[in-house]
Amino acid sequence: MAAEYVKYVDVTKCDGCRACMVACKNWNDLPAEPQDFLGTMQSHANVSADTWNVLTFVEHENSKGGLDYLFRHSSCYHCSDAACEKVCPENAISYTEFGTVVIDQDTCVGCGYCVQNCPFDVISLKEYKDKNGKEYRKAHKCTMCTDRLEEGLQPACVTTCHTGAMEFGGKDAMIEKAEERVKEIKDRYPNAMVYNPEGVGGTHTIYVLAERPSVYGMPENPKVPTSAVLWKDYAQPIGKMMIGATTMAVVGAFISNKLFNKEGNGTHEDGGESDE
Amino acid sequence: MVEINLNRRQFLKLSGATAATLAVVELGFNEKEAYAKSKELKIARATVTPTICCFCGVGCGILVHTKDNTVVYTEGDPDSPVNEGTLCSKGTTIRQVYTSEKRLTKPLYRAPGSDKWEEKDWEWMYKTIAQRTKETRDKTFVEKENGFTVNKTEAIASLGGAALDNEETYLLAKMMRGLGVVYLEHQARI
Repeated sequence: MAAEYVKYVDVTKCDGCRACMVACKNWNDLPAEPQDFLGTMQSHANVSADTWNVLTFVEHENSKGGLDYLFRHSSCYHCSDAACEKVCPENAISYTEFGTVVIDQDTCVGCGYCVQNCPFDVISLKEYKDKNGKEYRKAHKCTMCTDRLEEGLQPACVTTCHTGAMEFGGKDAMIEKAEERVKEIKDRYPNAMVYNPEGVGGTHTIYVLAERPSVYGMPENPKVPTSAVLWKDYAQPIGKMMIGATTMAVVGAFISNKLFNKEGNGTHEDGGESDE
Repeated sequence: MVEINLNRRQFLKLSGATAATLAVVELGFNEKEAYAKSKELKIARATVTPTICCFCGVGCGILVHTKDNTVVYTEGDPDSPVNEGTLCSKGTTIRQVYTSEKRLTKPLYRAPGSDKWEEKDWEWMYKTIAQRTKETRDKTFVEKENGFTVNKTEAIASLGGAALDNEETYLLAKMMRGLGVVYLEHQARI
């Protein structure tokens, strides 16, 4: 197994240029999604099936009464313990050797369970029409450019970032780097922290945040929904076991029935013989 | 020798089934290869050409990946000392300069007072521009002003763009100064 990799995002170095958004569209051949003006610099309210990462702009009054203009590259977190992977009934979502979480478009049936269960709201459904005009849906999200990783390249968003806000590297090295950086910026941002939430087993996009996650609209303590755990880790195996038990019962019943019938037939035949 | 009795219909059915089986088996053999091909990296067999970004004066290096006569991907040139592989949001869109449906491929002309654009050929364009430049310049040329020799025209302005390279801007400035144009501006300053 190859080493796990992590996308390191230092939001304090981001200048909000949105090149990562464009690079994502450029590499993944995603169409533009024109939006109405939202009243802020932010171009899209949230990620969508055709916009896999969005640069969020937050105006925040800091503890000193000054204004902080907070930028953040926001896309799939690639959780180590991903709720989407757990709930997918078709097992279309899987972990790659790099630690990224990807959706297999051929297997996806567009049920939307992953969309509902993602603690970060980064998966979206897209509607398509087949050649008979029948509608079908597929779930989409950031792939961390897994196709590029396989060829030894880095994700498109990381390669384009010109301020050094994003880096891609080995998991441990990146976490260490993030912790170092938080120490550096503590004076300016007393609430600075590394965002690598435990509730989802850590993520493969880790952030150096200047403020609490809630300021950025991120969950403070994201968790894999209990229903997802119940479904995948208990209900499904028990269901399978029960199918097995049922099958065994049916087979057993069939065999015993046969035996019983044979006996019956035997007596009948005997009767027949006795008739002769 | 095994004798098989078949009428025409049965024979057709049998050969159809054989062909179908072969097709499936064939597909089964090639499935992995077909999958690999569909998943091939989109820049795998592309020609890479280095260029300079046309949008501002910084001059970032860009690698243009072309395949099947179109641009499939553009990215910052890691070997460029200017941008070291990175790009801004505008430079990242440079692929659209070639692929966009909105791209103009023919010169458009809007006559004075008109509200419509008309398609014209290059020949007509060059001729008309040259003619009108000459007319305007001759009509408005000032040789002396307040006793000083000025040799200028204030009726023409030139607006350069960052897409022009060193040699082009040199020629442009030289020609404009020659005509007496004093309003020489650059897109990046306005």
